[in-house]
Amino acid sequence: MTIINAFLASKGIYLLTFILLALGISGMVICNNLMKKLMCMNIMQVAVIFFFLCLGQKSGATIPVAMGEVIKASEYINPLPHGLMLTAIVVSLGTTGVGLAFLYRIKDKFGTIEEDEIILKERENLDK
Amino acid sequence: MKKYLIIPLLIMLIVLPFVFFDVLPSIGDMKSAPNTHVSDYYIENSIKDAYSENMVTAVIVDFRAFDTLLETTVMFLAGISVMIILASRPRAAQRMRSTLDAKKSKIKSIAPVFKTINKDVMITIIEPIILIYALYVLFHGEISLGGGFQAGALIGMVYLLDVLVIPDRHNLYRMSKSNSAMIAGLGTFIYCLCGILTLIGGGIFLEYSNLPLPLTEAMKHSMGILMVEIGVTVGVAGTIITIINSIMERVRFDDDNY
Repeated sequence: MTIINAFLASKGIYLLTFILLALGISGMVICNNLMKKLMCMNIMQVAVIFFFLCLGQKSGATIPVAMGEVIKASEYINPLPHGLMLTAIVVSLGTTGVGLAFLYRIKDKFGTIEEDEIILKERENLDK
Repeated sequence: MKKYLIIPLLIMLIVLPFVFFDVLPSIGDMKSAPNTHVSDYYIENSIKDAYSENMVTAVIVDFRAFDTLLETTVMFLAGISVMIILASRPRAAQRMRSTLDAKKSKIKSIAPVFKTINKDVMITIIEPIILIYALYVLFHGEISLGGGFQAGALIGMVYLLDVLVIPDRHNLYRMSKSNSAMIAGLGTFIYCLCGILTLIGGGIFLEYSNLPLPLTEAMKHSMGILMVEIGVTVGVAGTIITIINSIMERVRFDDDNY
């Protein structure tokens, strides 16, 4: 029992992030609706962000805001993943916006955002 | 259904050995590779080099300022590209109609979606509080938790709330999408201007201790960081407003007049 506890304490959070990653990727593969594909891409991005934040964790350390003199680096958690992921979150917003814009154009052209219907219409266009 | 279960299982099969065979560092390990090499330098020298108590701010606007500059440019380009993609619209005759849609559209349209949000509470109470919080986050980003990206996202959220609450497109302050794209570019320009000022002062690009101002070194760093943060805030807020504006031009609500 203690082995399981120690494993979950040291590695358990990786399992959760990998489950989230698998959900996102499989959703992108399986879903027929392009809007749902975009949502699954966002879920995958969140999983990657969680993974990076897990790596920056230190046990017994506090948030990366200096209080007085900084004596030891082990007193504060790693600020580097936080800084990188802060920009990654904002850029994911931009990519989501561009994806939504493309969905609007697809809806205008084909009248639907279901993938199989789009493929059918493309085939009809080719036959003409 | 069984066909769909294979894909997540396959991904987990590829990924799980990294967890079980001690490849990844355990949580909270101080001597793991991500926690040792360069991050120790950032933690110990953020006050000495950048005069900023908040180490995340020191990392993103002082040690890695070029990264953030290009990140802001990426946001600006995303806003511009959304505007350009949605600018042209095919005529109604050229648009394809789905046959499935026509069958489903016999159902009458449902009641207005946004009628449940109380206009008076949203606009008079919640939006000013969010704006004040955004300014607090912006100006306290150097010494406590916060920063430019969050403040920009909060300001963009206020505009989004305003668009959501008043559905018939008579917003309190209506900004055209070209103006908001210009504001997003202005944010990136403020960032670059800070770098150019340090060039004038005789330093290299974005070296805040060479700002041509009659201040002490710590105050020069604070001024530079504040200027960059304001640029990031304006850029992110302008980008979010551009994306909202150009998408909302295509949206038709159920209780719209036309």
